[in-house]
Amino acid sequence: MARAATTSDVFNAIAEPKRREILVLLRSGDWPVTELARALGLSQPGTSKHLRVLREVGLVRDRRAGKQRLYDLDAQGLRAVHEWTGGFEQFWTGSFDRLDAYVQERKQERKVDHE
Amino acid sequence: MSETRQDPQAQDGAADREIVIARHIDAPREVVFEAFTEVRHLSRWWGPQGFTTTTRSFEFRVRGVWDFVLHGPDGTDYQEWITWTEIVPPERIAMLHGEYRDDPNAFESVLTFEADGARTRIEMRTVFPTRELRDEAVEKHRAVEGGRQTLSSLAAYVTGNAGNGASD
Repeated sequence: MARAATTSDVFNAIAEPKRREILVLLRSGDWPVTELARALGLSQPGTSKHLRVLREVGLVRDRRAGKQRLYDLDAQGLRAVHEWTGGFEQFWTGSFDRLDAYVQERKQERKVDHE
Repeated sequence: MSETRQDPQAQDGAADREIVIARHIDAPREVVFEAFTEVRHLSRWWGPQGFTTTTRSFEFRVRGVWDFVLHGPDGTDYQEWITWTEIVPPERIAMLHGEYRDDPNAFESVLTFEADGARTRIEMRTVFPTRELRDEAVEKHRAVEGGRQTLSSLAAYVTGNAGNGASD
């Protein structure tokens, strides 16, 4: 499957179901880690680990609010996902799928030619 | 030192105007490259499943033109006009992609072919003149894909009906 090379980490990040759950929760706005952990049924360190991955690929942002750290969605990272789910990239993913199949055919033909 | 390759243009904001797609293909670079050089090859794979092309003219050389119609699976036709700006076998192809000659909204794609053992890594880096045109291209292709969705829905519908009624 073709992926945006510069943003491939985003796709790895959202391959994890709990991280996708985090993104869904964050659609409603800012969340502190403690509440995310409770909503997910995870430990706080476990939740923080997921959040760190999401932050590194630009899917979430964090900011300090008093003693807490609040997380929300980062549109920049999500853009790559949005594009991939439709449009230009999907068109080319489809084309490259067919290119791949065609090239495999050509490879076989060449082998036969050379024998 | 970071391993991250910095595109000097990206620092000027080209990241907003570009789309990069990469893909590994299990074949030698020469074989993959060849599939981009002749219309008899290109017509076999250009466009996702269900798309076909009708070529009016094709000349694979720098400043040469591929003038063709892309037929969507829902019957929609798209005028396509491609001219090559750089050809370096079997490493690199740069092309300008518009809907007609001198299309002011044409955008450039640079394809690079890298040998990776017995496999080939293709990278397609497309830079649009403006961010708006990039977003427009995404939406246009989303519409193209939308047509495909429509067709598969229709196919599912027809198949569903056949399953209910016409089985003998």
